[in-house]
Amino acid sequence: MNPSSLKSRFATRFLRALTQIHARKPICPSSPTEIFRRYRRIKAAADKSMAYSVRSRRTWTGAVLWKLRSRSCGRRSVKTSTLVKSQQAIEKKTRHEKQNKNTTTTTGGHGVGFGVEATASELRELVPGGEAMDYCNLLDETAHYIKCLTTQVKVMKKIADFYSL
Amino acid sequence: MESNAGTKETRSNLTASDGGEVTAFESLQFTDEIHRLILAPTTDNSSSFTALLELPPPQAVELLHSPDSPKLIAASPPNVEDFQGSFRFPSNSGLIERDARFSLFSGEANNSNEKRNSPESKNVSANPEKNVKSEPAETESSQPLVSDPTVEKRSIKRKDRENKVKGSTKKSKTVANENSEDAEKLPYVHVRARRGQATDSHSLAERARREKINARMKLLQELVPGCNKISGTALVLDEIINHVQSLQRQVEFLSMRLAAVNPRIDFNLDSVFTSESGSLMDSNFPSLVMPAIWPEVQGNGHRQQYQHQWHLDTLQQPVWGREEVCNNYITPENSLLTYDSSANSATLQANHLKMEL
Repeated sequence: MNPSSLKSRFATRFLRALTQIHARKPICPSSPTEIFRRYRRIKAAADKSMAYSVRSRRTWTGAVLWKLRSRSCGRRSVKTSTLVKSQQAIEKKTRHEKQNKNTTTTTGGHGVGFGVEATASELRELVPGGEAMDYCNLLDETAHYIKCLTTQVKVMKKIADFYSL
Repeated sequence: MESNAGTKETRSNLTASDGGEVTAFESLQFTDEIHRLILAPTTDNSSSFTALLELPPPQAVELLHSPDSPKLIAASPPNVEDFQGSFRFPSNSGLIERDARFSLFSGEANNSNEKRNSPESKNVSANPEKNVKSEPAETESSQPLVSDPTVEKRSIKRKDRENKVKGSTKKSKTVANENSEDAEKLPYVHVRARRGQATDSHSLAERARREKINARMKLLQELVPGCNKISGTALVLDEIINHVQSLQRQVEFLSMRLAAVNPRIDFNLDSVFTSESGSLMDSNFPSLVMPAIWPEVQGNGHRQQYQHQWHLDTLQQPVWGREEVCNNYITPENSLLTYDSSANSATLQANHLKMEL
């Protein structure tokens, strides 16, 4: 295994996070609520470690990390004024860019049918941070995102298979 | 008539070059022929134009599609100036729009070729005019200069151009856009380098953009399994969306599995990882030995409990079925086997896990 590949970087980070999560000793470790809580944490850890393991800074990694941070901050209800302001700024930015997107042509000039716009918007919802991107960059981000998702799935599958046997 | 002879010669030139590529030399000959065509009957402007028109449609199309045709433009502007008066059609914009309408829904080049030939041949002469009109800032002397970078850009773009059999709908579209400031989006427009319009920065940028998008779509097709056979952008996009959704769902299910797993060992795997990074194989090494020693002694009672209580509908059944099966299988073994020291098993497990990864 290449020690500096995306796979190994993600695996290291993710396993570290897993140990941290499993190290917490709740009262009844196998209750459904506890498992659900752990599931949320593990999923967040997986996304986070994937976002950090990526070498080249991508738009979707920033969006993933921002979502996680805002979600965790919201849950603890410790909304600092800076965080709120930054959230508002980002929302304004995405709204502004959405307006831009509507007036200018995103897939336009590409001359593809209008049905593609609908699928493109669906893709935007799927890929984190996809709302504020033009079509060309969106395809780029999607390719990278798919590659990272496949590595994530592979590593997690191997870990899960390993520990569930 | 000399013009007829000229046309015959151009025809022979075209047929000679039809098989292979139009070399520069042949295009020079070609331009000479056109020169002769244009210059010969200077008194009778209309007849020279009709001589041009009388080129049979395939040759007219060839004329348009020849990659070195900008040289024609480069050569002809001085002559076009002479003709501007006579070439001015009252219904130029009408022609262009009719052409645009013809070529609107053309899925194949063949279908629209016949329709387009007659307006196209008229567009041949209209084009240089359009060029002149659309670039009012440029003086006549600078026009050949403008055409030359066009040629260079064209030669560069030629490498990027994928499909040669494309209609010239894009040409008429850009002309219509320039004329009538019409920003309507056509359902599907073929990409085609338009001679005379290549100097327009908009179409160049658009073409480059489109090629970038196509290249990225190809990349995506390779990434997504089973996408190579599908043709058509919309279906490929659907496939991509499905793939992304399935991957995201898989991550969710796997994290659920990992949450349900109850490792009793403190696995300080990162230290093990860093130390043993050199000697690892990336293979599907089946972990045969370790699972038997998996200590589930404590968790067994709890596990039985939650297996009955677990009511999540969103989970995949096979995943949980497997969990149950494994747990049931391990229980009797665990009661028999003793639990080694945690450090030993941790390192052994870490090794196996690393080999698997």
